Amino acid sequence: MTITLKDKILSKVTKPTRYTGGELNAVIKDPASVDVRFGFCFADTYEIAMSHLGLKILYHTLNDRPDTYCERVFAPWTDMEEQMKEHGMKLFALESGDEVTRFDILGFTMQYELSYSNIVNMLMLADIPVRAKDRDESCPIVCGGGPCAYNAEPVADIFDFFMLGEGEELIHEITDEYIKWKKSGKKNKKDYLEAIAKIEGVYVPSFYDVEYNANGTVKSITPNNTNAPAKIRKRIMKDFDTTYAPETIIVPFGEVVHDRVMLELMRGCLRGCRFCQAGYIYRPLRERKSDTLLNLADKLLSCSGYDEISLSSLSTSDFSGLPDLTEGLLGITEKKKIGLSLPSLRIDNFSLELMEKVQKVRKTGITFAPEAGTQRLRDVINKNITEENILHSTALLFSGGWTNVKLYFMIGLPTETAEDVEGIAELAHKVLDTYYAIPKEERAKQINITVSTSSFVPKPFTPFQWEPMNTRDMLIEKQNMLKGAIRSKKIKYNWHDNKTSYLEGVFARGDRRLCEVIIRAVEKGCKFDGWDEHFKFDTWLEAFDELGVDPDFYCTRARSYDEILPWEHIDVGVTKKFLIRESEKARAGETTPNCREKCAGCGANSFGTGVCYE
Amino acid sequence: MSNYILKYSRDDRVKYISHLDFVRLFHRAARRAELPFVFSQGFNPHPVMTVAQPLSVGVTADGEYMKVGFDGEFSPKELTDRLNAAMPPGFKILAAKKVEGKEIDLTKIDKAEYTVEVEYNGLIDARDIAVFMNKPELVVMKKSKSGVKESNIRPYIYKLDLTASDEKTAIFSMTLAVGSVYNLKPDSVVDAMGKYTDGFTPGFFTVHRNSLLCGDVDYL
Repeated sequence: MTITLKDKILSKVTKPTRYTGGELNAVIKDPASVDVRFGFCFADTYEIAMSHLGLKILYHTLNDRPDTYCERVFAPWTDMEEQMKEHGMKLFALESGDEVTRFDILGFTMQYELSYSNIVNMLMLADIPVRAKDRDESCPIVCGGGPCAYNAEPVADIFDFFMLGEGEELIHEITDEYIKWKKSGKKNKKDYLEAIAKIEGVYVPSFYDVEYNANGTVKSITPNNTNAPAKIRKRIMKDFDTTYAPETIIVPFGEVVHDRVMLELMRGCLRGCRFCQAGYIYRPLRERKSDTLLNLADKLLSCSGYDEISLSSLSTSDFSGLPDLTEGLLGITEKKKIGLSLPSLRIDNFSLELMEKVQKVRKTGITFAPEAGTQRLRDVINKNITEENILHSTALLFSGGWTNVKLYFMIGLPTETAEDVEGIAELAHKVLDTYYAIPKEERAKQINITVSTSSFVPKPFTPFQWEPMNTRDMLIEKQNMLKGAIRSKKIKYNWHDNKTSYLEGVFARGDRRLCEVIIRAVEKGCKFDGWDEHFKFDTWLEAFDELGVDPDFYCTRARSYDEILPWEHIDVGVTKKFLIRESEKARAGETTPNCREKCAGCGANSFGTGVCYE
Repeated sequence: MSNYILKYSRDDRVKYISHLDFVRLFHRAARRAELPFVFSQGFNPHPVMTVAQPLSVGVTADGEYMKVGFDGEFSPKELTDRLNAAMPPGFKILAAKKVEGKEIDLTKIDKAEYTVEVEYNGLIDARDIAVFMNKPELVVMKKSKSGVKESNIRPYIYKLDLTASDEKTAIFSMTLAVGSVYNLKPDSVVDAMGKYTDGFTPGFFTVHRNSLLCGDVDYL
């Protein structure tokens, strides 16, 4: 008789192929043949996890080692979680289906603050003690990386260590050390942590003591172990062109968010938008060569059968080889009937012509991100896009037959006034006017303009890291103000719920005193906070209240430059001095040119590579 | 352009793939195999491909059919070899045949043979099946396009046998109507057995489709 427990469970859940593994190009190994079983964990659903480029890179580079078996471990959706609990099934890895409870290493990629509850929930589902201090040598080592690792203090008590920066080399170094430690008998977890604490980019939170002042701010962050450096410096790949890039890609059965080949053109960004954490933490900008990318594109398309390819970078237009690359790509895509998508493109004549070539039939929507409604505020945030740019571009688009334009803004930016908020509506109306200015026979019949706003969340390692976040009441008032200022029915306004932004704001600049709040919230049922249907704001507030932690302290409080920030011991290359200078320039409404125009002296040239040495 | 009929199987590893996901998966496999799909005309061109009687999620099968159009001539062996090298593990192309006109019409498929494994409470033996099959009417609630309604499924059960059983699980083989005239799923038969057989309460069950037939003939 062949009916299995798996059959019974999977017959009751939505999208069962989230849990079966077995996709094309997934790596299958004999667990008995390796030294290390590594669980690459993404604390969200399969569809989101499988869209993440970092996972693809690290999964394949680890599996290229004969001594290591890297498997994928994702958050089960709530229906699956119920089934697992009902049948006593623990968190499992997709490749082998094995429980991860006795894996060697679990590595979480920390992409956004709102996934913290899912990290804790996954450890609970795996039946692994949540706090690092409660895990002995029989438990997996739990580590983290990704953008949230730069200020991982809110989850510092949960993790054994963090990897800061790019992982292509670092993940091998910590794996090598693990194998040494395992072969020496795995006597004491501390021995392993001491060995890796010496590796640049490794942060072992238990090796640092944090003291607080009476007013709640950080008094000091001091290493308590001689192997731990006073400052932990992020790692980058110096020669990005030759950096490992997988030549294969797992092809999911069900549709995922980014269901296509992704080509990573470059890392880092040269723009320096002051609200954007990615613009600072990934510095300096480094590019791949067009030939390298074309070669990769060909291999990835052949091995996957995908019919779409997308360029991945923070600002595609800044890629210096763009004309060569797109010409080469069009050669491949036209022959094979493959779609090419070009996100993060600045609209100018070159890119419009390019889009004409790429999208021969359909002229769908296009998104602009002016971010702020007035030139004054755009100067404050160093978003180098003018009203003239936007209106000129939209006029070009509309006369080319485009019908959908999305305008993306933030509200709650530092120094924002009512005039700036109303300026958003004004700009949208001006865009609409450019449509009406085109003769009827030359423009499309209909027009849709969508204005979206999200709430600005100040992030560490940006010039706005000292700024207070707007209170929820202030944000609601601004949303209502904007709603009232939009008069045309052709303009639709979407806004983002500010409860999740508030929580994001708390964690983004949080410290270690939040760890217990997060654990408590998960015990009370919080998970999937990024999903509206599961987000329980009141439960979160209860958890803060029960532990006597004031979330406003982290979110809506202004910091002074001399306050010791919870991430003071982390070095991302960009210096505090530079961030203060940028903060002052923001207050004065002065812009800073991009890295290619003029070096702003941010400090990232200390890595000795990239745009700093072009 | 040439049309080809492909016969294929899918096993436990890939049985949760939905029909739409299977269509996309096959498109990709053909791309990997560098087989030039014929694209439909129209605003949003897509590869020409028809799957006969798409499988439900969770069902495994030994002899499914689809029809595809490729630009070019391929021998059956070349097609099966190239596709098998490109399909994810769990699918297998068993046979291929180039067809002209309506020589093989997948829409005429009207029967399917199944093996159904049912967990149950109570008792069941061959006599129960004989009694069940002798009922003039077997009326169950059945889903159709117009909603859930009562339907007499007896005329569409062509064969039903108990092939093995122990105290917990029974294995049935059944031949049922499929297609546009009347489509009967094994689920409804299990339902009816629970309703009309005293002392037999079916629980969880799995379905395997052994073959798709057109007037008792398996095309390939």
